[in-house]
Amino acid sequence: MVLSFVLIQNRQGKTRLAKWYAPYNDEEKIKLKGEVHRLIAPRDQKYQSNFVEFRQNKIVYRRYAGLFFCVCVDANDNELAYLEAIHFFVEVLDSFFGNVCELDLVFNFYKVRWRCRTEMGRLAWEEEEKGLSDYHPALSPFSSCALHPEPSTPKSHISRITNNPTQVYAILDEVFLAGEIEETSKQVVLTRLEHLDKLE
Amino acid sequence: MATSAATSFLSRGSSGNNSNMRGLVQFIADLRNARARELEEKRINKELANIRYTRKAHFLMGLQGCLLTVIADGSLSGYHKKKYVCKLLYIYILGWNVDFGHLEAVNLISANKYSEKQIGYLAMTLFLHESHELLHLVVNSIRKDLTDHNELFNCLALHAIANVGSREMGEALSGEVHRLLISPTSKPFVKKKAALTLLRLYRKHPDIVQPQWAERIIALMDDVDMGVALSVTSLVMALAQDNPEQYKGSYVKAASRMKRILVDGEFAPDYLYYKVPCPWIQVKMLRLLQYFPPSEDTHVRDLIRESLQKILNLALEMPKNVQQNNAQNAVLFEAINLIIHLDTEQALMSQISTRLGKFIQSRETNVRYLGLEAMTHLAARAETLDPIKQHQSIIIGSLKDRDISVRRKGLDLLYSMCDSTNAQPIVGELLHYLQNADFAIREEMVLKIAILTEKYATDIQWYVDISLRLIAMAGDHVSDEVWHRVIQIVTNNEQLQVYAAQNILQYVKADHCHETLVKIGGYLLGEFGHLIAEDKGCSPIEQFLALQGKLQGCSSSTRAIILSSFIKFVNLFPEIKPRLMYVFQAYSHTLDSELQQRACEYLALASLPTDDLLRTVCDEMPPFPERQSALLSRLHQKHANTSDKRTWIVGGKDANANEKDMVKNPGLNRTLSTNGNGVPNGATNGTNGHAKVANDLAGLDMMDAGPSEPKTLKQPNLASTAHLSPGWEIGYNKLLLKGEGILYEDGQIQVGVRSEYRGQMACVILYFSNKAPVAVSSFTTTLDLDASEKGNLTWEVKGLPESTISQGSQSQQMIMFTAQNVFDKSPTIRISYLAGALQALTLKLPVTIHKFMDAAELTAEDFFKRWNQIGGAPREEQRVFGIKGSNREFNDSFIRKTVQGFRWGVLDGVDKNQKNFVGASVLHIGGGRKFGCLLRLEPNYAKQMIRLTIRATDESVPATMINLMEQRLAVGQSTQPEVFQPPTMREMSNVFGNVLVT
Repeated sequence: MVLSFVLIQNRQGKTRLAKWYAPYNDEEKIKLKGEVHRLIAPRDQKYQSNFVEFRQNKIVYRRYAGLFFCVCVDANDNELAYLEAIHFFVEVLDSFFGNVCELDLVFNFYKVRWRCRTEMGRLAWEEEEKGLSDYHPALSPFSSCALHPEPSTPKSHISRITNNPTQVYAILDEVFLAGEIEETSKQVVLTRLEHLDKLE
Repeated sequence: MATSAATSFLSRGSSGNNSNMRGLVQFIADLRNARARELEEKRINKELANIRYTRKAHFLMGLQGCLLTVIADGSLSGYHKKKYVCKLLYIYILGWNVDFGHLEAVNLISANKYSEKQIGYLAMTLFLHESHELLHLVVNSIRKDLTDHNELFNCLALHAIANVGSREMGEALSGEVHRLLISPTSKPFVKKKAALTLLRLYRKHPDIVQPQWAERIIALMDDVDMGVALSVTSLVMALAQDNPEQYKGSYVKAASRMKRILVDGEFAPDYLYYKVPCPWIQVKMLRLLQYFPPSEDTHVRDLIRESLQKILNLALEMPKNVQQNNAQNAVLFEAINLIIHLDTEQALMSQISTRLGKFIQSRETNVRYLGLEAMTHLAARAETLDPIKQHQSIIIGSLKDRDISVRRKGLDLLYSMCDSTNAQPIVGELLHYLQNADFAIREEMVLKIAILTEKYATDIQWYVDISLRLIAMAGDHVSDEVWHRVIQIVTNNEQLQVYAAQNILQYVKADHCHETLVKIGGYLLGEFGHLIAEDKGCSPIEQFLALQGKLQGCSSSTRAIILSSFIKFVNLFPEIKPRLMYVFQAYSHTLDSELQQRACEYLALASLPTDDLLRTVCDEMPPFPERQSALLSRLHQKHANTSDKRTWIVGGKDANANEKDMVKNPGLNRTLSTNGNGVPNGATNGTNGHAKVANDLAGLDMMDAGPSEPKTLKQPNLASTAHLSPGWEIGYNKLLLKGEGILYEDGQIQVGVRSEYRGQMACVILYFSNKAPVAVSSFTTTLDLDASEKGNLTWEVKGLPESTISQGSQSQQMIMFTAQNVFDKSPTIRISYLAGALQALTLKLPVTIHKFMDAAELTAEDFFKRWNQIGGAPREEQRVFGIKGSNREFNDSFIRKTVQGFRWGVLDGVDKNQKNFVGASVLHIGGGRKFGCLLRLEPNYAKQMIRLTIRATDESVPATMINLMEQRLAVGQSTQPEVFQPPTMREMSNVFGNVLVT
């Protein structure tokens, strides 16, 4: 049971986060990103499963509005366990970067469409009107806010996050390590992250 | 955007020394603002230039002689270094190449501030790969952080190794990582990270995990912290796959923890994930149990059965919440896999086969997918395919599912559930579906159809028809192995040759014919064309024209085959020789050197004055050697590359069985059915064997040498007699003659025994009392018996001791032994527990053959009658021996006590010599057998010698019994009162062991 990589990509195929657990060289990494995008993006959410064979492994993925969270696992790994591991990770990100939206709304995302943007450390959920699926990021009230972060107000979570573009990687290391699931209690992870966050 | 770009890195750095790293924020905002890649690039280049400029400026100013270490120098604060590395990281993360600044990043690792160190480590894990030369420089910094008292630094260092740890790093640091894992002072965070780091290092280089670590690592599976237990279970899973014998203790651990979580509800509420208690650890434990053969211990089986039933019951309710549903199903499907693996739980098995029937019709695509997958597993193991066959139409329907993942699983299942009764409809459906199938799975489909056709062919025509139709339909997706195999089978089966030749000729004659068919045609007509030359439409000239017509449109390798069949025609059909010669002449001018060479040679061969040489050359091809089909290896090769042990492979039961108990398939004949027999070794053994496919026509055995070398390193069996703990004899010797008492005692633990023997059965209860001032955890017992005694003495464990024994309390374990035969060696028990460090001892249990005897009363007359009936050797054994050691002696009361302790009825007044002892007993062993045993012991107190004679109605008894008694008697009784001896060093350390950290 081992992850080969974790990829977070948007619908256009831009990779927002890549974490490699197997030793790939730079060329392979670029190739893998492209292949995964081409494999996952066209898949139908309603009628197709969250699993797809990929080379000799398989990809378990979950789409959160505009973002695909993909993990590459062994061909005989337990698919659903990884599917929920993805969700667990997303919940941790969401709680940590918090207050962008209410948790219960996130969990009811089948009722309300949610748009999620992760740009190195900033992960935010935002509501989207139904039918706005081809919605341009520049039109989003959120993205305009993100484009003008207010570094002078340290209380703003956005600035806190953008100041640490590497934070998502640190969070990832608290949830997955060496390609294995490390911790599955949200409380434990969050308490730890809060603690680390306060350190100088 | 422009404003910030214009400001240099240094100036911004020095002006804004606030903790927000304003320059960085601005930089990131600018990049986000860049709508196009070109704009982003422009901005980054500007920033890179700034950074480079900064470095250069420092260099020119002579602040530092070495360009690379410019940032490391004192003029820049840690804050600036951090910001600088952060920018580089961000640029790197966006996918741009950052080829400098690595050393600066690495230097941050040795910072004292957590935030700086953290960035340094992060940069290191992102910039450097595991064979990067800079890693040599950081080994010492990492070691320093591993040994630091700050657990946060420990964790950072562990992250670094877990991300980029190489073999070299493993060799240098695995000892430290292991120490952090097992140290009683390590915090849960450190432990779980250390476990996974060790796993990473183990995967890089298995030798770094030493065999003697096993027991301690297994004990950590009981850690109260679920995160630690989860991580350690992952580690154990990898280790147990490679060394099942060494890690077999993990089986009971997983079984009992599963039960504690599921049935007893023993878990921290934090670990409830949408009402499912830590689904991930459940999945891992269920998987771990599949790596071992099913336990023979009824108690452990009960534990597992209870957990599995609970999982099945929980799954009856279908939660609406997506997460809960997924988590529950993750556990359920793993449980189903375990039930199939156990293969003995009939009640559970019947429950799951009805459920699987529902799953494959589910509206949820994920569930259909998993249902089909589980059913394929079932088909690989089940005794009968009937429960699966009743869903055949639904499964065939899944080939039309909207999701290719489901279609693939459907294909796997159809392939696995195929047998001689349903092969024709299934193959028919597959062929039908092949026409519209995705390109991605066509090649696999073709392989599977070819294998099934061959395996279940019951008549000649069907095999030939399907194979040729398959190639005609899916030509481009037919791998070479497929058409090679067709030729091999036709060549080896005489009854196929005429039919195959007729059919292939029809295909070749058609206007459109796939090149693969032309290849087969070329080969088959060249070999067997003469068999059909008399038939209508198959005359030599028609055969020739058919092949010649295809010559132009074919590749060079196909042309070569056709040229070869033409030279065979020269031999077979002299009447068309001129036309054949014409072709050779034409090709002797071709520029393809291979073809030209052939044409010239064939021309020369055909032009010889006599055809002796021609006949020799064109003699019938020899039959192909009987070998494993290349098709199977080709198929399994596709699934070979997984780091995990596959507990089963796609294919029917025979594909999963060992070669030994292989059932021969009823096929067309032996040759046709051979490919059903056996499976690539690599796959069945689960050792990731890589089947290698060679591509020559004759080399149809495509198998590699087989599974990778099993680890030959012999693992120590710590529960065996070879590892008995010092001091084991005292209690053991006492208990040889008594039913209950203390077996072992030290400063931390006391082991008491109570036993009762009835006939061939013995009930032994072990009592474990914790004398240590703290609770001991992960209390584990393992029984062992010398392999030579297996079957002579069997046992059933009726329960396990509590995993945690609090201070001053006691736990017990009941074991039922059955003497199936006379046995010689006693069972041993390994007891281990965590009291700070791991404590372990191995003791011999006082279960010996004489315990199964009952004293008997006999009159003098009866005794001597039977004594004489039994007679001498081999049913008699006699020994003469003296006292061992000084200050000890034989005396009457000692001997009487000992003989009675060995459960003999001492018959007084039977022997004329009053000093002699005579005894009788009945020994009970398995199957209700009883052996009469008689004893005569003649002491010589003057010389302190004993002559002991034992006779029994079965020859297996006397030798064993006399050994036991001699050992015990020879010790004699002390002639001196007990003297007080000060405690030895070992006793001291035992007493204080629980407070000392070792």
